[in-house]
Amino acid sequence: MRFVFFFAALTSVLAVALICVFLFASGVPSMAEIGFLDFLLGAEWTPTNAEPRFGVLPMILGSLYVTAGAILLGVPIGIFAAVFMARMCPKPLYRLIKPAVNLMAGIPSVIYGFFGMMVLVPLIFDLFGERFGLPGGDSILAASVLLGIMILPTVINIAETNLRAVPQELYEGAVALGASHERAVFKVILPAARSGVMAAVVLGIGRAVGETMAVKMVAGNQTVLRLPHEFLKGARTLTTNIVIEMGYVEQGSLHNGALIATGVVLFVFILLVNSLFSVLNSDKENRLRRRAAPKGAVS
Amino acid sequence: MRKVLSLLPASLLLFAFAAGCSSPGGNGGFDNGRTVALFTREEGSGTRGAFVELTGINEDMSAEASVAGETNEILTKVEENTYAISYVSLGSLSDGVKAISIDGVTPTTATIKDGSFKIQRPFIVCVNPEKAANELVADFISFLLSAEGQEVSGSSWIKVDESAPAYAASGLSGTLKVGGSTSVEPCMVEMVKVYNTFNPDVNIEISGGGSGTGISEAKDGVVDIGMSSRELTADETASLTPTVIANDGVAVIVNKENPIENLTMEQVKDLFTGALTKWSDVG
Repeated sequence: MRFVFFFAALTSVLAVALICVFLFASGVPSMAEIGFLDFLLGAEWTPTNAEPRFGVLPMILGSLYVTAGAILLGVPIGIFAAVFMARMCPKPLYRLIKPAVNLMAGIPSVIYGFFGMMVLVPLIFDLFGERFGLPGGDSILAASVLLGIMILPTVINIAETNLRAVPQELYEGAVALGASHERAVFKVILPAARSGVMAAVVLGIGRAVGETMAVKMVAGNQTVLRLPHEFLKGARTLTTNIVIEMGYVEQGSLHNGALIATGVVLFVFILLVNSLFSVLNSDKENRLRRRAAPKGAVS
Repeated sequence: MRKVLSLLPASLLLFAFAAGCSSPGGNGGFDNGRTVALFTREEGSGTRGAFVELTGINEDMSAEASVAGETNEILTKVEENTYAISYVSLGSLSDGVKAISIDGVTPTTATIKDGSFKIQRPFIVCVNPEKAANELVADFISFLLSAEGQEVSGSSWIKVDESAPAYAASGLSGTLKVGGSTSVEPCMVEMVKVYNTFNPDVNIEISGGGSGTGISEAKDGVVDIGMSSRELTADETASLTPTVIANDGVAVIVNKENPIENLTMEQVKDLFTGALTKWSDVG
């Protein structure tokens, strides 16, 4: 019977290994053919021109911008929501909010995309279109707002769990010393749960970097190199670059290879985000152990 | 103090929604001075390939054009954006958008048939010499060009031969592989349905992948018949025999609120290359 469990565990490791092998075996040679620097730092993406260019820098920046925007909008709301739910929320209200947050996590991304396309994009166009002479609402901002909403359940749920895990003694101690409820929560509980909350943010980043469908529907998908202040214009992310062009690409062509190489860059991105998560998590475990030790010595 | 602070974002949100909801349907006016919103298909799409070639845009498509991955997305974007312009296959036109005339010619099956509407492209099947000698391949292609086959071409697309001869069942059996352009695919699916009523023992497998894939696979003999929604290049015709089975128009579309009815080919080109950026530039 143990063998069955072992095999089940092995499957996931095997899947990751196979994906790694496939990605790197077919992506890295294409990257080499294009030239590593030309690929990573090239500002032009014109795969079907007579002299094709495969520069992925606009997409790398695009991914960074929409992710940064999503963090800027989603993280403060998410953390405040988690603080409210963990420490301030009346029971009846909690029974309403918690399922709503869980439902949010379950909504398919294409539905978010539809919402963005029909509501957010026209809204942004109406608010800023005339003033800034924009052609449309498809923009980095639209993608950021949408992703900011989409990462909320991830951030809220993990941050809430971590806030609840903070020992009650810390809160009681703070209140005993004369702190108000808010002060105790924000100055004692939140700092104590810091690494857990950071982990929530990092997982949110992972979700934002990897999102494809919803972003594709609202981001405009231009392969132009954007600067941060051009957030009202459209951009393409790494994920959308792959999904938009995969359908028509000729098998075995350099264009196909360049798309897989885009996948390699994306994979490295996610790898970095996940290692950051592991580092934060192990940091949390260390600190919890340190905190537990003196307490054990006293009793 | 806390109450005031919490009311502030709430009222801001309400204001934003009110502003957003009131304007789109409300005034309905079309402001000529606004920037043209370009929407285009992705690199490698057959529709895009045909459009940029026939309008002379070629590789100069404006980098600022928003890219949508499929026809339906293009249609939705143009429906939602008052100042949008884009292009779709004539067979995919919907009521939510407005197709405009080019050089005074409206895109209809009639104007495409007589060649006066210029932005049109052939649906092509291509075979290599070895496959062309195959009895079954030859029979299927003769069906595509027969009265029954052309009946299908005429249903949503345009016939290439009005007076094609009737097809007689050949009684052959076997398997055919057809692959390539996803624009031709729906036409091919209908063709195969009719063909199978004549020759039920022939099993025809259709796969997509795009025009480029179809052409290269037909060359290598991976598929028996390749499908393409663009003309073959001189290089490609050296090793493949193309046959036009239907014609399809590419319509230039704008939002329904846009008063414009006609553009010249030159204006279409200038809009999509970014040389003209405002609707007032084209009247």
